[in-house]
Amino acid sequence: MNPDPFLNLDRVIHEKGRMAIMSLLAATPELSFTEMRNTLNMTDGNLSVHLRTLQEAGYVAVTKTFQERRPLTTCSLTPSGRAAFANYIELLSQIVEQHRKK
Amino acid sequence: MHPTWATEHLQVIRTLMERSAIYRRALAPVMLLLGILGIVAGVSGWWFSVSSSRAFGWYWIAVSTVGISGAYLMVRRQSLRDAEPFWSPPTRRVTLAALPAAFIGFIVSLLILQALPQGSVEVAWLPPIWMALYGCAIHAAGFFMPRGMKLFGWLFILASCAVGGALALSWIPRSSISGHTVMGASFGGLHLLYGVYLYFTEDRKNEA
Repeated sequence: MNPDPFLNLDRVIHEKGRMAIMSLLAATPELSFTEMRNTLNMTDGNLSVHLRTLQEAGYVAVTKTFQERRPLTTCSLTPSGRAAFANYIELLSQIVEQHRKK
Repeated sequence: MHPTWATEHLQVIRTLMERSAIYRRALAPVMLLLGILGIVAGVSGWWFSVSSSRAFGWYWIAVSTVGISGAYLMVRRQSLRDAEPFWSPPTRRVTLAALPAAFIGFIVSLLILQALPQGSVEVAWLPPIWMALYGCAIHAAGFFMPRGMKLFGWLFILASCAVGGALALSWIPRSSISGHTVMGASFGGLHLLYGVYLYFTEDRKNEA
């Protein structure tokens, strides 16, 4: 592994929109698509694209159900997504520590 | 890259994680409903002379049941409209936080109303007990809600102390009429005032 923590940062998570999505999902078991969209002030298209990227990386699970005959899309972190996010935060903390020592 | 970017990233993550855990449903309509219900119930209780301790207790337990059911129905309506789950993790957290104080309130009320001999506890003492426990429930739920809810809980706790003190010093009569007045003014008036405040200050996009 590269000794520079910056180079080890997960590029899938290290993007403003996806990092925000991962942060929201890390604090709660699940969130609906609309809750995330409203909290992050994202457009439907933008959020969908980011979710698809995270889904393809295996970090987010998307479930489509119906509530009172209306479609309800909920998202949650997968175990590998949770681990990747924890690792991402750990690397950020290391970078902060390195700058503090300099 | 600026050396503080990692710190800023961590700060953003922390803020978003906190925001994610907070209950976000619009509270103004719920507060207005509870306020109007409390005032109408207070006036009705006085008007229809609901005066024995047992009748007074069951009357207000029924009113609170209607109020809680109405509040959850409004929240459900909001969640359906916004295509969001009703029994979401924040809703679960808020409910579970408020449950112990609400449960104690129900058990204490049952003991006072059914198990103890009729008239052994003066009816006017029930409102401050309920106000204190309701304040505790709201305060506990406030840890997962916007900051004002904890202050609202404290308001009920302090109001219960004031009413309890006034009763002990006989500044207000220990009668069912004063009980209905206290219930109407506290559960009705305080909810209504907070509802009006939230109506003008709360984020309107979630409103029912």
